[in-house]
Amino acid sequence: MNVLIVEDEHSLANEIASFLKSENFLCDLAFTGREASEKIAVNLYDFILLDLGLPDYNGLDLIKEARKSGSEASFLIITARGAVEDKVKGLDLGADDYLAKPFALVELLSRINAVARRKFSIKSRDVELGEFVMEIQSRRLTCRGNVVDLTKKEFDLLLYLVLNLDKVLTRQQLYEHIWGNILDDQYDSNFIDVHIKNLRRKLNNHAPSPWLETVRGVGYKITSG
Amino acid sequence: MIRLKTKLALFNLLSKLAFTALFLLVLPVIIERINLRQVDNDLVKKREKTIGLISQYGIEPFINPDSSMSFGSYNILKEEFISFEKTSIPDDLNEIEITSRVIDDEEINYRVLNYTLFVDGQKYLLGIGRSLTSIQQSKRNISSILFVFLGLIILVTFITDLQYTRIILIPLGKITDKLREISSPSKFDKNPVKTNTIDFVSLDNALRSLMDRIGEAFRKEKEITVDISHELLTPISVLRSKLENILLRDDVDPDIAVKVEESLKTLHRLQNLVNSLLMIARIESQQYLREDEFSVSALIEEITDELKPIADDKGVALKWESVNDYIFRFANRPLIFSMFYNVVNNAVKNTQSGGEIIIKCLRSGARYRVVVSDTGYGMDDEQLGHLFSRFKSRKGNGENGTGIGLAIAKSIADFHKIEINVRSAPGSGTEFSFDFPPNS
Repeated sequence: MNVLIVEDEHSLANEIASFLKSENFLCDLAFTGREASEKIAVNLYDFILLDLGLPDYNGLDLIKEARKSGSEASFLIITARGAVEDKVKGLDLGADDYLAKPFALVELLSRINAVARRKFSIKSRDVELGEFVMEIQSRRLTCRGNVVDLTKKEFDLLLYLVLNLDKVLTRQQLYEHIWGNILDDQYDSNFIDVHIKNLRRKLNNHAPSPWLETVRGVGYKITSG
Repeated sequence: MIRLKTKLALFNLLSKLAFTALFLLVLPVIIERINLRQVDNDLVKKREKTIGLISQYGIEPFINPDSSMSFGSYNILKEEFISFEKTSIPDDLNEIEITSRVIDDEEINYRVLNYTLFVDGQKYLLGIGRSLTSIQQSKRNISSILFVFLGLIILVTFITDLQYTRIILIPLGKITDKLREISSPSKFDKNPVKTNTIDFVSLDNALRSLMDRIGEAFRKEKEITVDISHELLTPISVLRSKLENILLRDDVDPDIAVKVEESLKTLHRLQNLVNSLLMIARIESQQYLREDEFSVSALIEEITDELKPIADDKGVALKWESVNDYIFRFANRPLIFSMFYNVVNNAVKNTQSGGEIIIKCLRSGARYRVVVSDTGYGMDDEQLGHLFSRFKSRKGNGENGTGIGLAIAKSIADFHKIEINVRSAPGSGTEFSFDFPPNS
């Protein structure tokens, strides 16, 4: 898929591009609004990551322009200006999602994938994890045909790890994904550990779950195969 | 402490009383003086009349010149008298004095004019007297009439003074109310108070321009906080992406991965701080909308559901005691969620294993109160004093916190006009109570 990254902060744009390339995206960069406007007019993009705080352009005007020229790209707004009005305005003008700086790269990926699934009506396939089956569409986990009783949070946690198969996710990345913008001033929070502990206990009641790994000092990951 | 209008009225009353008292004290003397002069004039006139009569008819009608008898005549009520007697005093008299005479066992004070005159070579003493009883009587009458009259005047003017000062001080009361009602300088009512008193107009104007300046200074400070926060978030964002990219590499050394994760954690701490400051600045500069309508008890239930696994893991019981519902209008749900979340989360963190946290939603009439109490470590007065200030965390229980959560809770509460009260003592837990504004 083709992605245009519109971001005036060069090193951030480069990091995002390097990450998305490793996820098999084709990336194009625009460091100014004018540059972006020209590229949108010429090329076809599936996704445009748009920083609203451009020095030369009102980011929201870019969306209007693109829509006028018939571009069907999905816009994902990235901004440090997390003010409520911007969010509403952005979504009103046809942006597909919104991400506040600083964000986790894996979170960006999962948002892009979610938009893509919506856009192309891709049905998520079930994922096999040892003796368990993650039925993403119906939001349930089964083990040899028995439903594992998980809370919403536990399921979301597991799902996020499944969608980022073979990647180590830090506690912070997991926390942000599940709890969003609730500020926790205790930076040594053990929220995720407690939930993973409960999750493991429930899983192990049905079958062993060696695929759910703790990466010491870093975080958690689910290994495939 | 005493109100201005009472003070003014009291001063008026006292000064009037003092002047009246002085007047009443001096008045009898003045009346007496005036009356005596009147009497004296009368007596002199009578003397002239008598002298006229004598020169017309001679002395005989009054007194026999040959006898040594004296002549005296009182009118029936003994109000006046006239007397004649021969005298041999060497001096010529023409004087007025007060003497008392006993007539029919009654002592009466007279104002008497003594006058010597020669008739046919004989010296006579003429005495013309006027009783002072009636003068004293009229003095008493006038005094008592004046006393009652002045008393009435004082009473009436006191009441009208009181009313008048009350009326002219109404604008002052309005200005005070305007000041009392506002929670921040920007909320000050810009409409001038209606008054034609120049002093109040200039007070009102001075206050308005002061509020404008303070409001502007506040706004600038908030703007700076918001701007700085934004500026800080971009470098944090760059660093974070770089570190995450390192962590995502397949060939990363496990020891390096741990160090990178530690750096990410520190960066997260910085990010949280900036976001917290940004949030407080935004709340205080009214950048959040207040247009949600929701059930408070349902919201708190969501929070307890979220925190239950953590509390269970720690061995802390989360209990509901009474659940009265309240529909909160014109509020920001995510903010209220944050507020209660921070407080309940704080309670879980500050309660040891085996302790409990009790949540009550109480309702009486239009009043609604949520109480979150724990059986935790509690706080001393010093800790309580800076509980809601930024960056002062509850120390000594092994938690690493920035302590900004409660500062956020407080600014959210202020934003929604919710009153937070905290009661705590070391070792006997902490109780947070939230009094909601009555639904209008």
